[in-house]
Amino acid sequence: MRAVTWIIAIAVAAAVCGLFPPFHLVPLKTAAAEQKAKAFDTTRFAGTFWTNRLLPSLDKAVPARELLSAIQNDPPAAKKKYSRSLGLDENYYYFLRGDGKVVSISDDEISLAISKDSTNAEVALETGLVFGDALRDGTGLLNVNDYPNSQDFNDLSAALDRIVETNVIPQLRGQAKPGETISFAGCAEVDDESTDLKPLKVIPIQTLTP
Amino acid sequence: MNKKEIIKKLQPLVALVVMVLVLSLMSDKFLTFANGRNILLQISVNLCLSLGMTLVILTGGIDLSVGAILAFAGAFAAGLLKNGIILGRFGLAVQFTVFGAVLAGILAGFVLGWFNGLVITKFRLPPFVATLGMLSIARGLTMLWTGGFPVTDLGTKFDFMGAGFFLGIPMAVWISAALVAFFYLVTRRTILGRYIYAVGGSEKAAAFSGINVDRIKLWVYALTGALAAIGGLIVTARLDAADPKAGEGYELDSIAAVVIGGTSLSGGEGSILGTVLGCLIIGVLNNGLFLLDISPFWQQVIKGFVILAAVAADKFGTRRQSYS
Repeated sequence: MRAVTWIIAIAVAAAVCGLFPPFHLVPLKTAAAEQKAKAFDTTRFAGTFWTNRLLPSLDKAVPARELLSAIQNDPPAAKKKYSRSLGLDENYYYFLRGDGKVVSISDDEISLAISKDSTNAEVALETGLVFGDALRDGTGLLNVNDYPNSQDFNDLSAALDRIVETNVIPQLRGQAKPGETISFAGCAEVDDESTDLKPLKVIPIQTLTP
Repeated sequence: MNKKEIIKKLQPLVALVVMVLVLSLMSDKFLTFANGRNILLQISVNLCLSLGMTLVILTGGIDLSVGAILAFAGAFAAGLLKNGIILGRFGLAVQFTVFGAVLAGILAGFVLGWFNGLVITKFRLPPFVATLGMLSIARGLTMLWTGGFPVTDLGTKFDFMGAGFFLGIPMAVWISAALVAFFYLVTRRTILGRYIYAVGGSEKAAAFSGINVDRIKLWVYALTGALAAIGGLIVTARLDAADPKAGEGYELDSIAAVVIGGTSLSGGEGSILGTVLGCLIIGVLNNGLFLLDISPFWQQVIKGFVILAAVAADKFGTRRQSYS
Protein backbone atom coordinates (compact mmCIF):
# COMPACT_ATOMS: atom_id res chain seq x y z
CA MET A 1 0.00 0.00 0.00
CA ARG A 2 2.83 2.34 0.97
CA ALA A 3 4.75 1.54 -2.22
CA VAL A 4 1.64 2.30 -4.29
CA THR A 5 1.30 5.68 -2.56
CA TRP A 6 4.91 6.50 -3.35
CA ILE A 7 4.55 5.43 -6.97
CA ILE A 8 1.44 7.58 -7.38
CA ALA A 9 3.18 10.56 -5.73
CA ILE A 10 6.22 10.23 -7.99
CA ALA A 11 4.01 9.85 -11.08
CA VAL A 12 2.04 12.99 -10.16
CA ALA A 13 5.25 14.92 -9.50
CA ALA A 14 6.69 13.78 -12.84
CA ALA A 15 3.51 14.78 -14.66
CA VAL A 16 3.51 18.25 -13.03
CA CYS A 17 7.19 18.75 -13.90
CA GLY A 18 6.45 17.61 -17.45
CA LEU A 19 3.67 20.17 -17.79
CA PHE A 20 5.56 22.94 -15.98
CA PRO A 21 9.29 22.27 -16.38
CA PRO A 22 11.12 23.59 -13.30
CA PHE A 23 14.30 24.26 -15.27
CA HIS A 24 15.95 24.11 -18.70
CA LEU A 25 19.44 22.98 -19.56
CA VAL A 26 21.19 25.28 -22.02
CA PRO A 27 24.77 25.38 -23.34
CA LEU A 28 26.97 27.68 -21.28
CA LYS A 29 27.76 29.91 -24.27
CA THR A 30 24.09 30.45 -25.05
CA ALA A 31 23.37 31.24 -21.40
CA ALA A 32 26.24 33.74 -21.26
CA ALA A 33 25.04 35.42 -24.46
CA GLU A 34 21.49 35.64 -23.11
CA GLN A 35 22.75 37.09 -19.84
CA LYS A 36 24.83 39.68 -21.68
CA ALA A 37 21.90 40.63 -23.90
CA LYS A 38 19.69 41.06 -20.83
CA ALA A 39 22.25 43.20 -18.99
CA PHE A 40 21.81 46.96 -19.23
CA ASP A 41 24.81 48.59 -20.96
CA THR A 42 24.82 51.92 -19.15
CA THR A 43 27.66 53.51 -21.13
CA ARG A 44 26.12 52.63 -24.48
CA PHE A 45 22.67 53.77 -23.36
CA ALA A 46 24.09 57.07 -22.07
CA GLY A 47 25.92 57.67 -25.37
CA THR A 48 22.81 57.01 -27.45
CA PHE A 49 20.67 59.11 -25.13
CA TRP A 50 23.16 61.98 -25.34
CA THR A 51 23.24 62.05 -29.13
CA ASN A 52 19.68 61.11 -30.04
CA ARG A 53 17.62 62.66 -27.27
CA LEU A 54 19.52 65.13 -25.13
CA LEU A 55 21.26 67.29 -27.77
CA PRO A 56 18.10 67.63 -29.94
CA SER A 57 16.17 68.74 -26.82
CA LEU A 58 18.40 71.62 -25.79
CA ASP A 59 15.97 74.18 -27.22
CA LYS A 60 13.48 73.05 -24.57
CA ALA A 61 15.73 74.44 -21.84
CA VAL A 62 14.57 77.63 -20.15
CA PRO A 63 16.42 80.82 -21.22
CA ALA A 64 19.05 81.63 -18.60
CA ARG A 65 18.14 85.34 -18.37
CA GLU A 66 14.48 84.51 -17.74
CA LEU A 67 15.42 81.94 -15.10
CA LEU A 68 17.95 84.12 -13.28
CA SER A 69 15.54 87.01 -13.22
CA ALA A 70 12.83 84.74 -11.80
CA ILE A 71 15.19 83.37 -9.15
CA GLN A 72 16.22 86.89 -8.17
CA ASN A 73 12.63 88.11 -7.87
CA ASP A 74 10.97 85.14 -6.18
CA PRO A 75 13.02 81.94 -5.63
CA PRO A 76 10.07 79.72 -4.52
CA ALA A 77 8.03 80.82 -7.55
CA ALA A 78 11.01 80.18 -9.83
CA LYS A 79 11.43 76.74 -8.30
CA LYS A 80 7.77 75.98 -8.81
CA LYS A 81 7.72 77.19 -12.41
CA TYR A 82 11.05 76.03 -13.81
CA SER A 83 12.54 73.26 -11.65
CA ARG A 84 12.27 69.50 -11.86
CA SER A 85 12.59 66.98 -9.05
CA LEU A 86 12.29 63.23 -8.69
CA GLY A 87 10.90 63.74 -5.19
CA LEU A 88 13.39 61.30 -3.70
CA ASP A 89 15.13 64.04 -1.75
CA GLU A 90 15.08 67.82 -1.40
CA ASN A 91 17.25 68.41 -4.47
CA TYR A 92 15.78 70.05 -7.52
CA TYR A 93 17.15 70.87 -10.94
CA TYR A 94 17.04 73.57 -13.60
CA PHE A 95 17.59 72.88 -17.31
CA LEU A 96 18.76 76.15 -18.88
CA ARG A 97 20.44 77.64 -21.94
CA GLY A 98 21.78 81.03 -22.82
CA ASP A 99 24.92 82.99 -23.53
CA GLY A 100 27.22 85.13 -21.48
CA LYS A 101 30.53 86.90 -21.35
CA VAL A 102 33.42 85.10 -19.64
CA VAL A 103 34.35 87.09 -16.54
CA SER A 104 36.73 84.68 -14.87
CA ILE A 105 38.36 81.30 -15.35
CA SER A 106 39.50 79.00 -12.54
CA ASP A 107 40.47 75.33 -12.32
CA ASP A 108 36.95 74.26 -11.43
CA GLU A 109 34.69 76.69 -13.23
CA ILE A 110 34.28 79.31 -15.91
CA SER A 111 32.12 82.21 -14.76
CA LEU A 112 29.82 84.08 -17.11
CA ALA A 113 27.98 87.37 -16.86
CA ILE A 114 24.57 86.82 -18.40
CA SER A 115 22.69 90.08 -17.96
CA LYS A 116 23.31 92.95 -20.33
CA ASP A 117 26.18 95.21 -19.21
CA SER A 118 26.78 93.04 -16.14
CA THR A 119 30.30 92.20 -15.05
CA ASN A 120 29.24 89.93 -12.17
CA ALA A 121 29.49 86.14 -12.36
CA GLU A 122 25.89 84.98 -12.67
CA VAL A 123 26.44 81.51 -14.08
CA ALA A 124 29.42 79.25 -13.37
CA LEU A 125 30.01 76.47 -15.88
CA GLU A 126 31.61 73.63 -13.95
CA THR A 127 34.89 72.39 -15.43
CA GLY A 128 36.20 70.17 -12.62
CA LEU A 129 35.11 66.66 -11.74
CA VAL A 130 31.39 66.22 -12.34
CA PHE A 131 29.15 64.59 -9.72
CA GLY A 132 25.44 64.27 -9.09
CA ASP A 133 22.22 63.55 -10.89
CA ALA A 134 21.63 66.95 -12.54
CA LEU A 135 22.00 65.68 -16.12
CA ARG A 136 19.86 62.60 -15.53
CA ASP A 137 17.09 64.28 -13.57
CA GLY A 138 17.26 67.89 -14.72
CA THR A 139 16.08 67.56 -18.30
CA GLY A 140 12.88 65.60 -17.67
CA LEU A 141 13.78 63.22 -20.51
CA LEU A 142 14.43 60.18 -18.31
CA ASN A 143 11.83 58.60 -16.07
CA VAL A 144 12.88 56.55 -13.06
CA ASN A 145 9.89 54.23 -13.58
CA ASP A 146 11.29 53.09 -16.92
CA TYR A 147 14.19 51.40 -15.13
CA PRO A 148 13.17 48.36 -13.11
CA ASN A 149 16.64 48.18 -11.60
CA SER A 150 17.48 51.27 -9.57
CA GLN A 151 21.19 50.44 -9.76
CA ASP A 152 21.07 50.88 -13.56
CA PHE A 153 19.33 54.22 -13.11
CA ASN A 154 22.02 55.33 -10.65
CA ASP A 155 24.80 54.21 -12.98
CA LEU A 156 23.24 56.30 -15.72
CA SER A 157 24.04 59.50 -13.80
CA ALA A 158 27.68 58.54 -13.56
CA ALA A 159 27.83 57.65 -17.27
CA LEU A 160 26.35 61.02 -18.29
CA ASP A 161 28.76 62.84 -15.97
CA ARG A 162 31.68 61.00 -17.63
CA ILE A 163 30.50 62.19 -21.07
CA VAL A 164 30.61 65.78 -19.82
CA GLU A 165 34.09 65.27 -18.37
CA THR A 166 35.50 63.68 -21.52
CA ASN A 167 33.67 65.49 -24.35
CA VAL A 168 32.32 68.81 -23.14
CA ILE A 169 34.72 70.20 -20.56
CA PRO A 170 38.00 69.85 -22.55
CA GLN A 171 36.38 71.66 -25.49
CA LEU A 172 35.02 74.40 -23.19
CA ARG A 173 38.42 74.92 -21.59
CA GLY A 174 39.93 75.32 -25.05
CA GLN A 175 37.29 77.86 -26.12
CA ALA A 176 37.02 80.03 -23.03
CA LYS A 177 38.93 83.27 -22.89
CA PRO A 178 38.11 86.26 -20.64
CA GLY A 179 35.78 88.68 -22.41
CA GLU A 180 34.59 86.17 -24.99
CA THR A 181 30.93 85.23 -25.34
CA ILE A 182 29.95 81.60 -24.86
CA SER A 183 26.59 80.00 -25.64
CA PHE A 184 25.75 77.15 -23.35
CA ALA A 185 23.11 74.68 -22.31
CA GLY A 186 23.25 72.65 -19.13
CA CYS A 187 21.70 71.62 -15.88
CA ALA A 188 21.97 73.08 -12.40
CA GLU A 189 21.39 71.19 -9.18
CA VAL A 190 20.13 73.03 -6.11
CA ASP A 191 20.50 71.17 -2.81
CA ASP A 192 17.92 73.14 -0.88
CA GLU A 193 16.30 76.54 -0.66
CA SER A 194 19.19 78.02 1.31
CA THR A 195 21.81 77.33 -1.40
CA ASP A 196 23.54 80.45 -2.69
CA LEU A 197 22.55 80.69 -6.34
CA LYS A 198 24.94 83.52 -7.20
CA PRO A 199 26.44 82.29 -9.39
CA LEU A 200 24.19 79.43 -10.48
CA LYS A 201 26.48 76.43 -10.92
CA VAL A 202 25.72 74.70 -14.21
CA ILE A 203 27.00 71.39 -15.56
CA PRO A 204 27.47 72.10 -19.26
CA ILE A 205 25.93 69.85 -21.90
CA GLN A 206 26.92 71.90 -24.91
CA THR A 207 29.03 75.06 -25.27
CA LEU A 208 29.67 77.13 -28.42
CA THR A 209 31.71 80.18 -29.20
CA PRO A 210 30.67 82.56 -31.96
CA MET B 1 -16.16 22.47 27.05
CA ASN B 2 -17.05 24.36 30.22
CA LYS B 3 -17.85 28.06 30.54
CA LYS B 4 -14.32 29.08 31.53
CA GLU B 5 -12.81 27.27 28.56
CA ILE B 6 -15.23 28.99 26.20
CA ILE B 7 -14.33 32.39 27.69
CA LYS B 8 -10.64 31.57 27.32
CA LYS B 9 -11.10 30.58 23.68
CA LEU B 10 -13.04 33.74 22.94
CA GLN B 11 -10.44 36.06 24.52
CA PRO B 12 -8.51 36.79 21.30
CA LEU B 13 -11.70 37.38 19.34
CA VAL B 14 -13.03 39.77 21.97
CA ALA B 15 -9.68 41.58 22.04
CA LEU B 16 -9.74 41.94 18.24
CA VAL B 17 -13.31 43.24 18.17
CA VAL B 18 -12.54 45.77 20.92
CA MET B 19 -9.43 46.95 19.08
CA VAL B 20 -11.32 47.34 15.81
CA LEU B 21 -14.09 49.31 17.52
CA VAL B 22 -11.68 51.62 19.35
CA LEU B 23 -9.51 52.25 16.28
CA SER B 24 -12.58 52.88 14.11
CA LEU B 25 -13.61 55.62 16.51
CA MET B 26 -10.11 57.10 16.69
CA SER B 27 -9.28 57.12 12.97
CA ASP B 28 -11.66 57.61 10.05
CA LYS B 29 -9.16 55.87 7.76
CA PHE B 30 -9.18 52.62 9.73
CA LEU B 31 -12.48 51.00 8.80
CA THR B 32 -12.14 51.16 5.01
CA PHE B 33 -11.89 48.41 2.39
CA ALA B 34 -8.45 49.59 1.26
CA ASN B 35 -7.11 49.57 4.82
CA GLY B 36 -8.63 46.16 5.54
CA ARG B 37 -6.97 44.78 2.43
CA ASN B 38 -3.74 46.44 3.48
CA ILE B 39 -3.87 44.80 6.92
CA LEU B 40 -4.48 41.38 5.35
CA LEU B 41 -1.52 41.94 3.02
CA GLN B 42 0.68 43.04 5.90
CA ILE B 43 -0.11 39.95 7.98
CA SER B 44 0.15 37.43 5.15
CA VAL B 45 3.87 36.74 5.72
CA ASN B 46 3.51 36.56 9.49
CA LEU B 47 0.59 34.20 8.97
CA CYS B 48 2.79 31.79 6.97
CA LEU B 49 5.40 31.79 9.73
CA SER B 50 2.82 31.60 12.51
CA LEU B 51 1.05 28.56 11.05
CA GLY B 52 4.31 26.64 11.28
CA MET B 53 5.06 28.11 14.68
CA THR B 54 1.64 26.95 15.89
CA LEU B 55 2.43 23.37 14.92
CA VAL B 56 5.82 23.57 16.63
CA ILE B 57 4.43 25.12 19.82
CA LEU B 58 1.59 22.61 19.86
CA THR B 59 4.24 19.88 20.12
CA GLY B 60 5.79 21.78 23.02
CA GLY B 61 8.71 23.15 21.00
CA ILE B 62 9.80 26.50 19.65
CA ASP B 63 11.45 27.58 16.40
CA LEU B 64 13.68 30.64 16.43
CA SER B 65 14.99 30.05 12.92
CA VAL B 66 11.88 30.87 10.86
CA GLY B 67 13.01 34.45 10.05
CA ALA B 68 16.42 33.24 8.91
CA ILE B 69 14.92 30.39 6.86
CA LEU B 70 12.56 32.94 5.29
CA ALA B 71 15.55 35.02 4.19
CA PHE B 72 17.48 32.02 2.88
CA ALA B 73 14.58 30.53 0.94
CA GLY B 74 13.76 33.88 -0.68
CA ALA B 75 17.39 34.51 -1.60
CA PHE B 76 17.88 30.93 -2.80
CA ALA B 77 14.86 31.06 -5.12
CA ALA B 78 15.78 34.54 -6.36
CA GLY B 79 19.37 33.50 -7.03
CA LEU B 80 18.30 30.42 -8.97
CA LEU B 81 15.79 32.42 -10.99
CA LYS B 82 18.22 35.23 -11.76
CA ASN B 83 21.49 33.37 -12.26
CA GLY B 84 20.64 29.67 -12.50
CA ILE B 85 23.38 27.12 -11.82
CA ILE B 86 26.51 26.81 -13.92
CA LEU B 87 27.69 23.26 -14.58
CA GLY B 88 31.10 24.27 -15.94
CA ARG B 89 32.40 20.73 -16.29
CA PHE B 90 29.54 19.81 -18.62
CA GLY B 91 29.47 23.16 -20.43
CA LEU B 92 25.86 23.60 -19.35
CA ALA B 93 23.80 26.12 -17.44
CA VAL B 94 20.64 25.23 -15.52
CA GLN B 95 18.11 28.01 -16.04
CA PHE B 96 15.23 27.88 -13.58
CA THR B 97 11.65 28.75 -14.43
CA VAL B 98 9.53 30.66 -11.90
CA PHE B 99 7.85 27.37 -10.96
CA GLY B 100 11.24 25.70 -10.50
CA ALA B 101 12.65 28.54 -8.41
CA VAL B 102 9.56 28.61 -6.17
CA LEU B 103 9.71 24.84 -5.74
CA ALA B 104 13.43 24.99 -4.93
CA GLY B 105 12.85 27.76 -2.38
CA ILE B 106 10.14 25.76 -0.59
CA LEU B 107 12.30 22.64 -0.71
CA ALA B 108 15.23 24.57 0.77
CA GLY B 109 13.02 25.70 3.66
CA PHE B 110 11.73 22.16 4.12
CA VAL B 111 15.27 20.75 4.27
CA LEU B 112 16.47 23.35 6.81
CA GLY B 113 13.36 22.71 8.92
CA TRP B 114 13.89 18.98 8.63
CA PHE B 115 17.48 19.48 9.84
CA ASN B 116 16.06 21.31 12.88
CA GLY B 117 13.83 18.35 13.57
CA LEU B 118 16.70 15.93 13.11
CA VAL B 119 18.92 17.75 15.60
CA ILE B 120 16.07 17.96 18.12
CA THR B 121 14.98 14.33 17.84
CA LYS B 122 18.25 12.49 17.23
CA PHE B 123 20.68 14.58 19.28
CA ARG B 124 18.07 15.51 21.90
CA LEU B 125 19.01 19.18 21.84
CA PRO B 126 16.40 21.54 23.29
CA PRO B 127 14.42 23.15 20.42
CA PHE B 128 15.45 26.61 21.65
CA VAL B 129 19.15 25.80 21.20
CA ALA B 130 18.79 23.76 18.01
CA THR B 131 16.78 26.42 16.20
CA LEU B 132 19.00 29.19 17.54
CA GLY B 133 21.87 27.37 15.85
CA MET B 134 19.85 27.12 12.64
CA LEU B 135 19.11 30.84 12.84
CA SER B 136 22.83 31.51 12.60
CA ILE B 137 23.42 28.80 9.97
CA ALA B 138 20.64 30.04 7.69
CA ARG B 139 21.74 33.69 8.04
CA GLY B 140 25.29 32.68 7.15
CA LEU B 141 24.14 30.58 4.18
CA THR B 142 22.07 33.52 2.94
CA MET B 143 25.10 35.81 3.06
CA LEU B 144 27.25 33.19 1.31
CA TRP B 145 24.65 32.66 -1.40
CA THR B 146 24.06 36.35 -2.09
CA GLY B 147 27.50 37.73 -1.24
CA GLY B 148 25.66 40.11 1.08
CA PHE B 149 23.94 41.92 -1.79
CA PRO B 150 20.24 41.93 -2.63
CA VAL B 151 19.18 39.87 -5.65
CA THR B 152 16.95 42.19 -7.67
CA ASP B 153 14.93 42.42 -10.86
CA LEU B 154 13.18 39.04 -10.70
CA GLY B 155 10.53 39.64 -13.33
CA THR B 156 6.81 40.28 -13.25
CA LYS B 157 5.82 36.58 -13.26
CA PHE B 158 7.66 35.95 -10.01
CA ASP B 159 6.56 39.28 -8.51
CA PHE B 160 2.90 38.41 -9.12
CA MET B 161 3.04 36.11 -6.11
CA GLY B 162 3.72 39.04 -3.78
CA ALA B 163 2.50 42.10 -5.65
CA GLY B 164 -0.26 40.74 -7.88
CA PHE B 165 -4.02 40.77 -7.33
CA PHE B 166 -6.72 38.18 -8.01
CA LEU B 167 -10.38 39.28 -7.78
CA GLY B 168 -9.23 42.51 -6.16
CA ILE B 169 -7.43 40.70 -3.33
CA PRO B 170 -3.61 40.49 -3.14
CA MET B 171 -2.18 37.11 -4.17
CA ALA B 172 -0.23 36.98 -0.90
CA VAL B 173 -3.57 37.00 0.95
CA TRP B 174 -4.94 34.19 -1.23
CA ILE B 175 -1.81 32.12 -0.60
CA SER B 176 -1.92 32.59 3.16
CA ALA B 177 -5.68 31.94 3.22
CA ALA B 178 -5.17 28.66 1.33
CA LEU B 179 -2.47 27.66 3.81
CA VAL B 180 -4.74 28.50 6.74
CA ALA B 181 -7.50 26.30 5.27
CA PHE B 182 -5.05 23.47 4.59
CA PHE B 183 -3.46 23.49 8.04
CA TYR B 184 -6.82 23.92 9.74
CA LEU B 185 -7.85 20.66 8.09
CA VAL B 186 -4.52 19.04 8.93
CA THR B 187 -4.84 19.87 12.62
CA ARG B 188 -8.57 19.11 12.87
CA ARG B 189 -9.23 16.26 10.47
CA THR B 190 -6.04 14.22 10.03
CA ILE B 191 -4.12 11.68 12.05
CA LEU B 192 -1.05 13.89 11.89
CA GLY B 193 -3.05 16.70 13.52
CA ARG B 194 -4.26 14.48 16.32
CA TYR B 195 -0.75 13.18 16.89
CA ILE B 196 0.63 16.74 17.06
CA TYR B 197 -1.79 17.55 19.89
CA ALA B 198 -1.02 14.25 21.57
CA VAL B 199 2.75 14.81 21.47
CA GLY B 200 2.34 18.33 22.88
CA GLY B 201 -0.08 17.14 25.59
CA SER B 202 2.24 14.48 26.90
CA GLU B 203 5.18 13.10 24.97
CA LYS B 204 5.44 10.05 27.20
CA ALA B 205 1.75 9.19 26.93
CA ALA B 206 1.93 9.66 23.15
CA ALA B 207 4.93 7.34 22.92
CA PHE B 208 3.25 4.73 25.13
CA SER B 209 0.20 4.79 22.91
CA GLY B 210 2.34 3.92 19.90
CA ILE B 211 2.87 7.30 18.31
CA ASN B 212 6.28 7.77 16.71
CA VAL B 213 7.00 11.04 18.51
CA ASP B 214 10.29 11.72 16.71
CA ARG B 215 8.73 11.32 13.29
CA ILE B 216 5.88 13.71 14.19
CA LYS B 217 8.37 16.31 15.40
CA LEU B 218 10.53 15.84 12.31
CA TRP B 219 7.51 16.49 10.09
CA VAL B 220 6.40 19.47 12.15
CA TYR B 221 9.79 21.22 11.96
CA ALA B 222 10.15 20.42 8.25
CA LEU B 223 6.66 21.82 7.51
CA THR B 224 7.51 24.91 9.56
CA GLY B 225 10.61 25.40 7.44
CA ALA B 226 8.57 25.04 4.26
CA LEU B 227 5.99 27.56 5.53
CA ALA B 228 8.77 30.00 6.42
CA ALA B 229 10.08 29.52 2.89
CA ILE B 230 6.67 30.42 1.43
CA GLY B 231 6.75 33.55 3.58
CA GLY B 232 10.22 34.29 2.18
CA LEU B 233 8.99 33.90 -1.39
CA ILE B 234 6.12 36.32 -0.74
CA VAL B 235 8.47 38.90 0.81
CA THR B 236 10.91 38.55 -2.10
CA ALA B 237 8.16 38.81 -4.69
CA ARG B 238 6.64 41.87 -3.01
CA LEU B 239 9.95 43.71 -3.01
CA ASP B 240 11.11 42.35 -6.37
CA ALA B 241 14.32 41.70 -4.48
CA ALA B 242 15.72 39.14 -2.09
CA ASP B 243 17.20 41.05 0.81
CA PRO B 244 19.76 38.94 2.70
CA LYS B 245 18.66 40.66 5.91
CA ALA B 246 14.96 40.01 5.37
CA GLY B 247 12.97 38.46 8.19
CA GLU B 248 15.06 39.75 11.07
CA GLY B 249 12.88 39.60 14.19
CA TYR B 250 10.01 37.91 12.35
CA GLU B 251 10.30 34.86 14.61
CA LEU B 252 9.29 37.03 17.56
CA ASP B 253 6.25 38.37 15.73
CA SER B 254 5.16 34.85 14.85
CA ILE B 255 5.63 33.57 18.41
CA ALA B 256 3.67 36.58 19.62
CA ALA B 257 0.83 35.87 17.18
CA VAL B 258 0.65 32.22 18.27
CA VAL B 259 0.66 33.09 21.97
CA ILE B 260 -1.85 35.92 21.59
CA GLY B 261 -4.02 33.48 19.64
CA GLY B 262 -4.28 31.29 22.72
CA THR B 263 -1.83 28.50 21.94
CA SER B 264 -0.20 27.35 25.14
CA LEU B 265 3.59 27.58 25.20
CA SER B 266 3.68 24.29 27.10
CA GLY B 267 2.09 22.54 24.11
CA GLY B 268 -0.96 20.43 23.37
CA GLU B 269 -3.43 23.31 23.42
CA GLY B 270 -4.28 25.88 20.79
CA SER B 271 -5.62 26.19 17.27
CA ILE B 272 -4.90 27.48 13.79
CA LEU B 273 -7.89 29.83 13.98
CA GLY B 274 -6.53 31.25 17.23
CA THR B 275 -3.25 31.97 15.45
CA VAL B 276 -5.12 33.70 12.63
CA LEU B 277 -6.75 35.91 15.28
CA GLY B 278 -3.33 36.50 16.87
CA CYS B 279 -1.91 37.62 13.51
CA LEU B 280 -4.93 39.86 12.95
CA ILE B 281 -4.51 41.41 16.41
CA ILE B 282 -0.84 42.18 15.72
CA GLY B 283 -1.66 43.45 12.24
CA VAL B 284 -4.51 45.66 13.46
CA LEU B 285 -2.36 46.91 16.32
CA ASN B 286 0.54 47.81 13.98
CA ASN B 287 -1.80 49.44 11.49
CA GLY B 288 -3.79 51.33 14.12
CA LEU B 289 -0.72 52.66 15.91
CA PHE B 290 0.65 53.80 12.55
CA LEU B 291 -2.61 55.53 11.60
CA LEU B 292 -2.68 57.24 14.99
CA ASP B 293 0.83 58.52 14.24
CA ILE B 294 2.36 56.89 17.30
CA SER B 295 6.16 56.73 17.28
CA PRO B 296 7.61 53.37 16.13
CA PHE B 297 9.53 53.22 19.42
CA TRP B 298 6.29 53.39 21.39
CA GLN B 299 4.75 50.87 19.02
CA GLN B 300 7.40 48.35 20.12
CA VAL B 301 6.67 49.05 23.78
CA ILE B 302 2.91 48.69 23.32
CA LYS B 303 3.30 45.45 21.34
CA GLY B 304 5.49 44.07 24.12
CA PHE B 305 2.83 44.81 26.72
CA VAL B 306 0.12 43.20 24.57
CA ILE B 307 2.21 40.00 24.34
CA LEU B 308 2.82 40.04 28.09
CA ALA B 309 -0.89 40.53 28.72
CA ALA B 310 -1.75 37.62 26.41
CA VAL B 311 0.70 35.26 28.11
CA ALA B 312 -0.40 36.41 31.56
CA ALA B 313 -4.05 35.81 30.64
CA ASP B 314 -3.14 32.34 29.39
CA LYS B 315 -1.21 31.48 32.57
CA PHE B 316 -3.91 32.94 34.80
CA GLY B 317 -6.59 30.95 33.01
CA THR B 318 -4.57 27.72 33.20
CA ARG B 319 -3.86 28.19 36.92
CA ARG B 320 -7.53 28.83 37.73
CA GLN B 321 -8.54 25.78 35.74
CA SER B 322 -6.04 23.55 37.55
CA TYR B 323 -7.17 24.89 40.96
CA SER B 324 -10.82 24.29 40.14
